[in-house]
Amino acid sequence: MAEFNALTESVIKGDIKSAVAETQKALETGQDIQSIIDDGLIRAMDDVGERFSKGQIFVPQMLRSAKTMQECMKLIQPHFKEGDVKAKGKVVIGTVKGDLHDIGKNLVSMMLEGAGFTIIDLGVDVNPEAFVEKVKETEADIMGMSALLSTTMPAMRHTIDALKEAGIRDQVKVMIGGAPVTDDFAREIKADAYAPDAGSAVIQTKKLLGLS
Amino acid sequence: MKVNKGTSLPFYRPLNPAHIEKIDGAARWILEHIGIKIHDRHFLELMDQGGATVDSATSTVRFSAERLDKALAEAPRKFILHSRDGLNDIRLGEDRVYFTNGGRVFRALDVNSGNYRLTTLEDVANTAALVNRLAHINFYIIACQAHDLEPEHYHLNDFYHAFNATSKHVMGGCDSLVGVQQVWDLAALMAGGEQQLKERPFFSVITNPISPLTIESNTLNILGFCCSHGIPATCAPAPICGATAPATLAGALTQMHAEALAGVAIAQIFAPGSKVLYGAVLTAMDLRTMDFTMGSVEMAMMNAAAVQLAKRYDLPIYASAGVTESKRPDVQAGSEKSFSNLMVAMAGGDCVHLAAGMLDSGNSISYEQYVIDNEILGMVQRILAGINVTEETLALSVIQKVGPGGNYVMEDHTIDHMMDEFFYPDLCERHLFDIWVQQGRPNMLSRATAMVENILEAHKDCLDPQLNSRIRSAFPGIKDV
Repeated sequence: MAEFNALTESVIKGDIKSAVAETQKALETGQDIQSIIDDGLIRAMDDVGERFSKGQIFVPQMLRSAKTMQECMKLIQPHFKEGDVKAKGKVVIGTVKGDLHDIGKNLVSMMLEGAGFTIIDLGVDVNPEAFVEKVKETEADIMGMSALLSTTMPAMRHTIDALKEAGIRDQVKVMIGGAPVTDDFAREIKADAYAPDAGSAVIQTKKLLGLS
Repeated sequence: MKVNKGTSLPFYRPLNPAHIEKIDGAARWILEHIGIKIHDRHFLELMDQGGATVDSATSTVRFSAERLDKALAEAPRKFILHSRDGLNDIRLGEDRVYFTNGGRVFRALDVNSGNYRLTTLEDVANTAALVNRLAHINFYIIACQAHDLEPEHYHLNDFYHAFNATSKHVMGGCDSLVGVQQVWDLAALMAGGEQQLKERPFFSVITNPISPLTIESNTLNILGFCCSHGIPATCAPAPICGATAPATLAGALTQMHAEALAGVAIAQIFAPGSKVLYGAVLTAMDLRTMDFTMGSVEMAMMNAAAVQLAKRYDLPIYASAGVTESKRPDVQAGSEKSFSNLMVAMAGGDCVHLAAGMLDSGNSISYEQYVIDNEILGMVQRILAGINVTEETLALSVIQKVGPGGNYVMEDHTIDHMMDEFFYPDLCERHLFDIWVQQGRPNMLSRATAMVENILEAHKDCLDPQLNSRIRSAFPGIKDV
């Protein structure tokens, strides 16, 4: 097994600059690509995950390490043969029509981005047509909707209806969240998943895409 | 967060400067004209030789303004209650606030049954082990009576088991001269000699006058021993507003101030330079029923005011806060404890005792309450640490870097400061409702129960095994728990 201690350390520290330099060095010296990923990057992220679950590091540090790994992967990707790399998943996200509260949605976006997903953030007060159009355009895997007000929750149902009318309901998984939203409500409007907080949103996204 | 232990920003002042002078003047008048009753000819003679005014007909000792000021001038403004590991020294008189638990209760709460049981020696060892681990309880006071012990080796045992369970400073009440002598002998062996112990005393002694205006001879025996041996001590009056002190807060403060200053002055007559804390344990009666109240809001106000009175003379204070009438760790306990701990801490009390572990008007302890109070005290210490305003904390460069619409989560600035800026509670609920339900609806008490178990399970004896075997052969009166 090749040693990538310096790379691993840099990813754990979330030091993007030195991790990228270490990755570059490994590629230039002809190290096995799979080994750079497995013994360098993934080993680091396993360690980060363990430290996080023990409370030794906090969310910002975990996200920074994840971002560091992504930057390294950008360098590695051109060296893969066609078909080797599967993009992790695209997520279209926004707060529903009539709702201007975006703190929760932004936290979810940040966490998903940190976990390696591509985020297309439509912002706030997004009408159903705009969601549908963006899902079509980007061929998104996940559509995330957020509502803080119980009065705007019905817009989640309307947006799902709009996906059906456009004939693309089967092509995208729908995840919802927000303070008044519940698991029962998600089932009632036939969303595919409900996430009570940003951390759960990452777990649910991975589940929906068969990544965990 | 890494709380700066004992950082203080005293900004709660219930008395204005004119009030302080009025109370102080009245207390000095009491000491000059009424005096302190001492039923002991030996001590009356000693006070007479020391320049106090003794009236043998009424067995009272009075202090002229001159004699009082001379004695108070001899009392050290700063001294240290040493920890054995040197990591938890209590630096008195340096504008720092420290917290400690309360002592000498007779029963403990069994959280599962909701009933109380009599305390034993094991409770001394366990509460000391808890304090050893709890970061915001800065030193340990012998928490309870050991009902499973004969009186003759009482203090030897409770101090020994406290020393074995914590390397923080240990303070305790002593009932007898023999008891304090035993503790001295034990501590001297641990320190490697009497001189070493005098240089770094890692235990101290609590004595109390009897309000109003009386000191028992046994109390003076113990206080005198401490003064002549360099053991830090307090002679802390505990007047009860409406019973053993006037029903007005100002009147109770005046009498308490006279009693506390007398304690400091008498210690200086015993031995000039004695390390003595101005002591204050003010409480009140609920005059509707004559129930004793330690958790009243007036208690909080008076004990905060007492800090101002001690600071009138720059004396370090053994202050009181954090008590409740509640019988369980509940809403009443949390609110009463938070009020008084915060107010007395914000007044700048050097060491705030009773601050952790107690319930039931100071009659009872609960292990869980130690852990809960530690969290309350952590928040109080965070408040005292204040808001740090520097070029770096103003964060202008990162605000510019992130710009409108961005976020700060992954910025270096966030990671650099997140440990120091926030207090991270162990017991308080912070998750969303659904996550909380998934976790089985935990609360402060259920988390505290688990934490107590973890601490006691992981606890290791503090005394080195070799030293311990020397102690055990030198003191056959020590019992195992």
